[in-house]
Amino acid sequence: MENKAQIAHRCLLLENKAVTGDWFLLTLQAPLPLQARPGQFVQLRLGPGTDPLLRRPFSIHHEDSIAGRLRLLVRVAGAGTARVAAFVAGQEIDLLGPFGQGFPYPEEKAKALLVGGGIGMAPLYFLAAQRRREGLPFDFLIGGRSAASLPADAYFREHRLEPSLATEDGSRGFRGTVTALLEHRLLTGPQPGRIHACGPLPMLARVAEIGRARGIPTHVSLESRLACAVGACLGCAFPFHRDGAVEYRRVCRDGPVFNGEEVCFES
Amino acid sequence: MKADPRLAVNLAGIAMRNPLIAASGCYGYGFDYAAWVDPAEWGAIVVKGTTLRPRPGNPPPRIVETPSGMLNAIGLQNPGVEYFLETISPRLNALGCPAIVNIAGETIAEYRAVAGLLDGAPGVSGVEVNISCPNVQCGGISFGCDPAVVEELVRQVRGAYRGPLLVKLSPEAGSLTEVARAAERAGADALSLINTIRGMVIDVEARRPVLENLTGGLSGPAIRPVAVRAVWEVAGAVSIPVVGLGGITSAADALQFILAGATAVAVGTANFVEPYAVREIKAGLLGYLAKNGLKHYRELIGAAKT
Repeated sequence: MENKAQIAHRCLLLENKAVTGDWFLLTLQAPLPLQARPGQFVQLRLGPGTDPLLRRPFSIHHEDSIAGRLRLLVRVAGAGTARVAAFVAGQEIDLLGPFGQGFPYPEEKAKALLVGGGIGMAPLYFLAAQRRREGLPFDFLIGGRSAASLPADAYFREHRLEPSLATEDGSRGFRGTVTALLEHRLLTGPQPGRIHACGPLPMLARVAEIGRARGIPTHVSLESRLACAVGACLGCAFPFHRDGAVEYRRVCRDGPVFNGEEVCFES
Repeated sequence: MKADPRLAVNLAGIAMRNPLIAASGCYGYGFDYAAWVDPAEWGAIVVKGTTLRPRPGNPPPRIVETPSGMLNAIGLQNPGVEYFLETISPRLNALGCPAIVNIAGETIAEYRAVAGLLDGAPGVSGVEVNISCPNVQCGGISFGCDPAVVEELVRQVRGAYRGPLLVKLSPEAGSLTEVARAAERAGADALSLINTIRGMVIDVEARRPVLENLTGGLSGPAIRPVAVRAVWEVAGAVSIPVVGLGGITSAADALQFILAGATAVAVGTANFVEPYAVREIKAGLLGYLAKNGLKHYRELIGAAKT
């Protein structure tokens, strides 16, 4: 069928460590590699019983598809993510996936700009690691409120990634938002082949606008409340432009990565 | 697929391998979970609510989790019956189990028109009339609460559709048993209950309802006791079979509905959490039969003692 190799994975949590004040990095050992693509996501069961009921979606931060080792970077944003942050090493994690369409692949050879807003850097890190491995050029821009709201440099060194950081208070890297850094980069550097972005909605809207103004294709990864993750329930629908009208598409199945130009950000 | 004869059932003329039905709106057109579970594992699948004209659905957010449940306000998003007949219904035979089409409308005439178009359509084993959707401005639940309106609506649909006809009821009807009897009088072959119950969640930081539609339909284990009670009342008041649904996640949950009088049960929200739920529930039912020395699950229908 369409979604091949979707199975339930009883994963072993190898490690769960704090990366910043409220970001946690989970390293999981899956019984079989998910063979996930950057931009895809998994659904975690938060515990036994019916409350909380629904699984929670997390984009894949990295997969070592040979070792079957999976990394999820989680920001505590509510009761569900707080539970995930409290998972302890040695615990079994009930995981479904991978789900969704990832970032477009195979990639063209032209340089790509990866633009992450806060925890939105999580799936882009996977894309960056893949591009680095394949020798495809890219620049990785990550924005946060302050120095402490982003992972330490050692974190990026692990995958030999050297992102350009932007902080709103100027405490680390470029002073300003990551979209301001993006504009600065486009003014001073060569035009990239495309821009991949993940982060808060207003940031993605701005990235799409910048790309449109300069004729650079943008791919944005959207977030939505999800239930089924397979495209059945239509709960995660998001508006898109189509022939002058609005059409709802499923973030879980048709995305989460979409052509930035088609997303109806203004609604 | 090896079907166990102890679970086989004929529901209102629909021959099913087992009494488990995938609930409308939770299973798309039956193919979305195929990578996880063979659709033929189900006794039947009720496909997404279909209307005369395409409906874009409601703006997001459409869902929010609640204690042991969730609210949804999808707004009957669907491509319309014409597209359904051209593109979807010819594929439904590939599911390997009967497909029942849930239908909705804004007027009685629309219900009748959709039902008429589905009459004799390939891949369609039955129709479920949704007179209980809480998330649309017109039609839906507004039709489902008045016995006289229900009787007229079902009579019109019955006149247009000759196959097995199910009517899905809301527990919010003032007199559920009167509505159920009205549907039966008008020619319904079976009743499904319950649909979701209207609810609201308010974001206290934003000080506004979470759902863009403001209200949504509550589903999941939270509504199960309401659903079991509704099945109990209606099964005792009509002579046509009842399909019980509302928060079923396990064989034990399904058994409550069967013991309350349901001939079949439908599973909705649980699929979102465990795509394998259907398999586990079937295994659990067979285990219960074996443990209690029963030859067929039908021995349990309405068998709850008082």
